[in-house]
Amino acid sequence: MTTPLLSLTLLATLAFSLATSLEPWFQGWAGSRAQSSSLVQVALGDSRKLFAKHVFLKADAYFHNGYYPTIYDNSQGYEKAHIAEDMHASSAESEPNFLGKPRDWVDAFSRHFYPTRHRHIGEPDEPGEQEGHQHDEHCAHGDHEPEAGAKGNDQREILPWLRFSAELDPERVETYVVSAYWLRTSMKKVDDAEQFLREGLRANPGNYEILFELGCVYNENRNDPIRARNLWELGLKNWRETEATKPDANVFVYARTLGNLATLEEKQTNYVRALELLGSLKRVSPNQDAIEKWMADLRGRAAP
Amino acid sequence: MTTANPPAETCRLPEALARPAGASSWTNICAIAGVVIKEMYRRKDFYVLFVLTALITLVMGSVSIFNEQGIVRYLKEICLFLIWGSSLVIVITTTARQIPAERENRTLFPLLAKPVTRHQLILGKFLGCWLASGVALLIFYAFFGMVAGAREHHWPVLNYFQAITLHWFMLGIVCALTLLGSIVFAAPSSNTTITLVVTVGILLLGRHLNKVALRLSEPGQTVVYIFYYAIPHLEIFDVRDLIVHNWGLISWPIWAAGLAYAAVYAALFLSAACLRFRRQAVN
Repeated sequence: MTTPLLSLTLLATLAFSLATSLEPWFQGWAGSRAQSSSLVQVALGDSRKLFAKHVFLKADAYFHNGYYPTIYDNSQGYEKAHIAEDMHASSAESEPNFLGKPRDWVDAFSRHFYPTRHRHIGEPDEPGEQEGHQHDEHCAHGDHEPEAGAKGNDQREILPWLRFSAELDPERVETYVVSAYWLRTSMKKVDDAEQFLREGLRANPGNYEILFELGCVYNENRNDPIRARNLWELGLKNWRETEATKPDANVFVYARTLGNLATLEEKQTNYVRALELLGSLKRVSPNQDAIEKWMADLRGRAAP
Repeated sequence: MTTANPPAETCRLPEALARPAGASSWTNICAIAGVVIKEMYRRKDFYVLFVLTALITLVMGSVSIFNEQGIVRYLKEICLFLIWGSSLVIVITTTARQIPAERENRTLFPLLAKPVTRHQLILGKFLGCWLASGVALLIFYAFFGMVAGAREHHWPVLNYFQAITLHWFMLGIVCALTLLGSIVFAAPSSNTTITLVVTVGILLLGRHLNKVALRLSEPGQTVVYIFYYAIPHLEIFDVRDLIVHNWGLISWPIWAAGLAYAAVYAALFLSAACLRFRRQAVN
């Protein structure tokens, strides 16, 4: 009776001593998740980043009302999430009907039980429409731009997945930019958009994409061109420091920043600075003639 | 001339006897089914899964996302996912233990010694498990309807009706498959695991097997195609995307065809179970 009791006491003492020596080391260990306030981070660690893209694409699937290709379908036209593409006015949505024609009777029959028509969130489900309707054949594409109010109520449905994607991978910049765009345009939630972008900026200090979107918030929604200019200038500086030397540099955001900044300077009648920016834009833009025309117009106005 | 009457009278006698026999077999099936339903509501499985589903859904619903109050689709998706998971677990575990439990408790002998045939036993067990799963589904979907209605402020009752019936008939196939498994496999645990893997596998991959087959060379292509046509396509009954994204109703003839498809497969598995059980030694 005494021996087991003594053994137990000895083991308990050993365990306690070990815990007191290990605890300070664990607290100082770089891999410790104990300091994290995020439950997901504590539970999944860095593996959570693997799921971030999947969750982001879930938001895109919601944007299409569940009509979305799986890994077994032809995903041509769906390589980039449309919630991100819809941000840019130039995006022409011409994704094909990824389902194609039914391959057999099981395929044909099962198509009655899941979404098989391309329809964006917030658009009415037209009962007279044909089954297997192909977006690029029948849709009036001009109507697919996001409209505030009518579609905004339904477009909020994509937000939980974007929020969750940011929780899973705070270093995924696209999530912040896309979320902020939808928040400030469709849902008119400018404060939330700014707050979310700042959250993204804390996780990705100095990121030029987030700075660009934050500049848009100040320029378009807050009517504060001075702050917008500062943010875009900082974005340009950071892009040149981090991206300029890369072979696959993100020129698109750089060009958009230059274009927006040039427009802002033009409005502020800072033509010299605007010409400088357009000169930089001309070097990376595929539409050099239009930029040259714009520059000529500015030179005319800048001349005394 | 007078000999025509006696055969007519002798023909009437078995007819008169057959009606009570049919009625009694239905009574037997219902009695067995009643016991199964009682067993289900006495066990804790359903309550635990329901509370878990409700708890997770409510916790997820309480999360504030950009201070937007009316976001509902993610909640509907999570709730339906949990309902589907729970219903599969309830049906498979309940059905898988029916026949082995009767064997273990040695209640199978007195049951079959009474005027209960083996077919009636199988059908009774199936009916009980299927009805019990229907009751469970009703409760689950009532909760789902309340949660969705509280946020959306409208109840697409007919859409929900279609979703429940399709889900219930899909569970009928799973139920019949599990019963067949409980006669084929020795232990309920192996039957539960195999049926669960097969069911989830079909739900995830069933729709895509034909696409997978097209990318394979012979004879793999033929083998996969045979599987594709032979398996019950349980994924057909999964109309969660239509419910979550507020799509319109499925046309009623198509819906009825879906139920008929399920009935055919359930009958097929039940017949196989009856045939196998008829030839099996009960000890």
